[in-house]
Amino acid sequence: MNTIAVRRFVVLSLTPALLIYALFVFVPVIWSSYYSFFDWKGIGAAKFIGLRNYAEIIQDPIFWRALKNNVIFVLVSVFGQLPVALVLAIVLHKSNALQRFIRSAVFVPMVLSSVVIGMIWQYIYHPQIGILNFLLDKAGLPHWKLEWLSDAKIAIFALAPPLVWSFVGLYLIIFISAFQNIPGDIHDAAQIDGAEGARKLFSVTLPMIWSTVQIAIILCISGSLKSFDLVYVMTKGGPAHATELLATYMYNSTFSSYRYGFGSAISTSIVLISLIFIGLSQWLTSRTSKK
Amino acid sequence: MHPTAVQPRPAPLAGGRRFPRAWKQGTLWTFLTLYAMLTLYPLFWLVISSFKSNAEFFNRPFALPSSWQFTNFVTAWQSSKMGLAFFNSIIVSGASLVLTLFVTSLAAYVLARLPFRFKGAVLTFFVIGMLIPIHSTLVPLFILMKQIGLLNSYWALILPYTAFALPTAIFVLTAYLSSVPKEIEEAAYIDGTGLWGVFWRIMLPISLPALSTVIILSFLHFWNDFSFALVFISKSTLKTLPLAIANFADGYQTDYGLTLAAMTMAILPTIGVYLAFQEQVMKGMTAGAVKG
Repeated sequence: MNTIAVRRFVVLSLTPALLIYALFVFVPVIWSSYYSFFDWKGIGAAKFIGLRNYAEIIQDPIFWRALKNNVIFVLVSVFGQLPVALVLAIVLHKSNALQRFIRSAVFVPMVLSSVVIGMIWQYIYHPQIGILNFLLDKAGLPHWKLEWLSDAKIAIFALAPPLVWSFVGLYLIIFISAFQNIPGDIHDAAQIDGAEGARKLFSVTLPMIWSTVQIAIILCISGSLKSFDLVYVMTKGGPAHATELLATYMYNSTFSSYRYGFGSAISTSIVLISLIFIGLSQWLTSRTSKK
Repeated sequence: MHPTAVQPRPAPLAGGRRFPRAWKQGTLWTFLTLYAMLTLYPLFWLVISSFKSNAEFFNRPFALPSSWQFTNFVTAWQSSKMGLAFFNSIIVSGASLVLTLFVTSLAAYVLARLPFRFKGAVLTFFVIGMLIPIHSTLVPLFILMKQIGLLNSYWALILPYTAFALPTAIFVLTAYLSSVPKEIEEAAYIDGTGLWGVFWRIMLPISLPALSTVIILSFLHFWNDFSFALVFISKSTLKTLPLAIANFADGYQTDYGLTLAAMTMAILPTIGVYLAFQEQVMKGMTAGAVKG
């Protein structure tokens, strides 16, 4: 095979992928960090204002509220989804009919559009017609009834169950496949050494899948920082920014207030914050695993 | 099904412990079944409610419909242009899928099987994409689309969908193709088959399992996407299913049976696909996620 033909083939085959990827993923990220230094309304001339968008972001209480809400989402995912998924995976990693049924059931929400998920939960939480308040009424706890999504104090927490509900399936499957990759002789060795139950779990099984747990944590973080659809559908970031996330804040600033430069600055901050969080979690989990 | 199934346990030595263990198992499985039911309940509730009249929806939220209102589905379909939304979703998802498969399988073949400089750099460049939050590109993409005149066209969705599917797809395919033994294509080269021939007649058929993983993962993303469609499409004739459903709910807020019927119709295709290809979907999810 002559090398010129190979080289031509390599270039020809890689070009479409590189072009599409660069143009629609990479360039926009660079571009938005460039626009973040401008005051721009989307039409007319953009005015260079240096770091002023970032200065405004830092002084903006809504930004900090949004970041706090994102952190709440990260915590709910890491400490809500992962333990539930892990426990389910421990008991479900063999596969008889019942186990397969439960696995499939837990996974189903993963294939639904977040719009539908958001709308279903809107109905569940609806103050007048929602089944949650209906249930509380029937249970004789009418004073527990709340305006779940329009009460600024609880709205962000009301968003946690749909978040957990829709993503537990993903982590369940990830953990199950990690368990199945543990070689069988390690189980045998543990058995011979007399490790059983919780002891085996903590000193054999968990360390074996620790790298998977680390990846799951990264997924939780990047996934939570990406959340937008569910919240946009359920509350649009309201009431009074109580459920604002970085992404909804970016969306609202850009497409409702027409501040493209400011929105770009938030976009860039989202990328930076994601990287910081992921780096931090890597550092933390690698420290605990070395111990 | 799973090659590394757990070894059978030795029988418990102390016979006296068998009873409590059975009890423990029983409680565990009851609890798990309950958990599964609880997970499925919102969907079950959605489907039964979509057959109810408004009055029944208010008064008996947990009961099965006393008379099944199939008309909800007919009315929802007709009054919301759902047919059009389905059509748009099929076009956009289908075109994105074809483009993704063609572009990624070629790139993955080259990255996995052919020697060239900067290979590592190119692969890293693609893989980084998995960490980029989609929404951070919404503003610049919107501006880009506006400037090249693609806003409100199928391409405004097809191109970014493909671009964001690329990192995972290339990763899954490259990893899979790297594990194929060299001899297979060497024999073909000796027979005089060119690079294109090897790609079409050997690599594509061989990578079918990985391709189906990519197909399922990407399809779910394309079909369910909301944010890109929300920002890039405002023309009502081009709206995809998630967008149409969200709009429908705004317009028919008080007609619960209708809205729920529209939602039920919208989730049927993905649930159907999921039930049909369950094992593959799960494998695909892990391949796409674990190795990310």
